[in-house]
Amino acid sequence: MKKKFLSLLLVSAMAVTMLAGCGKEAAPAASTPAPAESTPAQEPAESTPAEAPAESTPAEASGDGAADYSGVNLTFWSMWNSNEPQGQVIQEAADAFKEKTGATVNIEWKGRDVKQIILAALEAGEKIDIFEDDYSRISKTYVDFCYDLTDMAKAANYDTVSFKCFNDVATERAGFLPCVTEQPQVGGVFYNKDIFTDCGITSVPTTWDEFLTACQAMVDKGYQPLALDGAYADFTFAYHLDRYLGEEAIKELALNGGWSQNEGVAKAAQDIIDFVKAGYLAENAPDEYPSSQNKIGLTGKVAMVVCANYVCAEVNNNSGTEVNWGMFNYPAVEGGVDPSNAYAGANSLAITSYSENPQAAFDFLLFLTTGEFDQKMANTASQIPADPRNTAPAIMDGTVEALNATENPLSWNMGLGENSDLGAAFGDVIRNLYEGKFETGEEFAAAMDALY
Amino acid sequence: MKKNKAMIVCFILPCLIALAAVYLYPVVRTVLMSFFAIDSVTADMSGWTFYGLGNYSRIFNSSTYRLAMWNMLRIWLVGGIFTLSFALLFAVILTSGIRFKKFFRAAIYLPNVISAVALATMWIQYIYNSDYGMLNRILGAFGLKGVKWLGTDMKFWAMLGAFIFGAVGYYMLIFISGIERIPQDLFEAATIDGANKVQQFVKITLPLLKGIIKTNITFWSVHTTAFFLWSKMFSPIGTESTTIVPVIYLYDTVFGSQGNAARDAGAGAAVGVTLAVIIVLIYAVMNGLLRDDDLEF
Repeated sequence: MKKKFLSLLLVSAMAVTMLAGCGKEAAPAASTPAPAESTPAQEPAESTPAEAPAESTPAEASGDGAADYSGVNLTFWSMWNSNEPQGQVIQEAADAFKEKTGATVNIEWKGRDVKQIILAALEAGEKIDIFEDDYSRISKTYVDFCYDLTDMAKAANYDTVSFKCFNDVATERAGFLPCVTEQPQVGGVFYNKDIFTDCGITSVPTTWDEFLTACQAMVDKGYQPLALDGAYADFTFAYHLDRYLGEEAIKELALNGGWSQNEGVAKAAQDIIDFVKAGYLAENAPDEYPSSQNKIGLTGKVAMVVCANYVCAEVNNNSGTEVNWGMFNYPAVEGGVDPSNAYAGANSLAITSYSENPQAAFDFLLFLTTGEFDQKMANTASQIPADPRNTAPAIMDGTVEALNATENPLSWNMGLGENSDLGAAFGDVIRNLYEGKFETGEEFAAAMDALY
Repeated sequence: MKKNKAMIVCFILPCLIALAAVYLYPVVRTVLMSFFAIDSVTADMSGWTFYGLGNYSRIFNSSTYRLAMWNMLRIWLVGGIFTLSFALLFAVILTSGIRFKKFFRAAIYLPNVISAVALATMWIQYIYNSDYGMLNRILGAFGLKGVKWLGTDMKFWAMLGAFIFGAVGYYMLIFISGIERIPQDLFEAATIDGANKVQQFVKITLPLLKGIIKTNITFWSVHTTAFFLWSKMFSPIGTESTTIVPVIYLYDTVFGSQGNAARDAGAGAAVGVTLAVIIVLIYAVMNGLLRDDDLEF
């Protein structure tokens, strides 16, 4: 009897932990934190502007509303799961597309692991018409298997219904337009507007000095200015470094070293050393992801975080609150370079070079990423719409402006990732910087050089 | 007889073909790949470029690979000493006739039943957390200052501690099976001769557990070489040098890392081959050092 009871207990424990491990969160799935690989999923913010979606997609505009694709079967490998908000909108769009054009879109839900399996499938010539992944990988890694969308995009005036920066970058990398933007992301400073209002901060800081003044105002009012999880320390510092040097210079340093010879590095590091010493980091920051960013929602006392837009939905989901989010671009530094650019990435959709129905596939992509279904995706998954004519949900306030202002989007970690071998080591030195382990910026620069 | 041979072939062939397809082919292909420059792990062989020892040279000259190996060595050595020592200690205690033996055995083994993801989350969020984690609460109760268990200085050891907690039960069970195999007569005779428990452990239990110890060390080596999930859980966004291990390095090399889409399946294969060689070496050394055929009982 005892044995049976024990066995039952163990099996129950295993079942419960398996369910806990594999189960869906109570709130809709938060994003995979990797850049441009996913967007947080969340219920639409209540205050989402109910503006009418764009009237028609280019495909619709080009004809009587829809082509006849009866009998056409499209296979779509999605990076989402069918129970995620993004997956549900995609399925809804596929159903509506079938009703409208007669084309059947068979969706295979591959989840985030699509990036591990898609290349092998493409190389094997598997029956895939459309696939979904980060636009960097599409335009670099899978480019040989991507259909050239340039002509179809031109015919459909795709430029007018998409963010130019993503098209430009993808085209520059691939040599042609290889993908359609589905879920744009933008990085910057995300903040609790209520705290800014309470502190009398009426306009967002645009320079580092203004940023420090705002931080001091928050500290004076009993707030903790900046949340920082160790996992995003390199992203946060790289943003600051970018404002001094620009991404190209950071790439060069990452690949070849010479950090100590560059004055901007020491200056940027010294700014952070002073920032930490002034007590502008949230308590216990840099913390273990996502503890620090969660404090924005959990305590209501932490004001800002430097991240990409998915952080808003993550914090809201994790903390069960509705933070009054705002966003501004990372501030400029004195004597630095062009501060208008922001980190931007996107989950995008590509058509295989061997697809037998590229036009039907392209029409479906536009159907999904513009107009009604794009608005629905933005609202349902709390993300930036891919069609600039649509309206971002309230939670994404400020993000569309930042994207529109970005001509040359910064890559994740602004070039630090260029050195794939030392990327992890850079992260540790930068975390040491935020942990207050360097007395001077020069010490930090020397520590970076010591890695080579 | 002829018929029997045909039957034997019929029964063995499917197994051989399956073994060749799912084991031999990947192994041979991986070894071959490690000598070629290849981006994609599934690239057609016609697209491979011979690279000699270039992939090995690349990984051995990589400071990150060396760091990953160093971390793995520390996990193997420090983690191995603690895990196997605790496992042996618990096994000896549980086989010494204490009360509630089955409860304790189940309790110590329980972490192996729980999903490692759930276990790691529990350690990260409820034990190591700076604000509300159990360890800092205990320190606070004694008036001591909290420790940043997941800061850059402590993260590796925090990860290792959590890993050891989850691993002890598995090795303890193997030790228990080994100890229970030893005839009780030996202990009774030793007791009559006046040997105390420590002497019995050193002179009887330990020598007769040589084979089990060898098995456990080999299992532990394989366990350590394949260390991946705990490292991922303790650095969930991007790879961190405090927690990087060779399999994480391999994964990033083959599939690209955060912010860098570059792939190098050839170098990844070289990492895989070196790990396999390490396991074979450890096994060979263990066979040489711990011969278990000199005692019969």
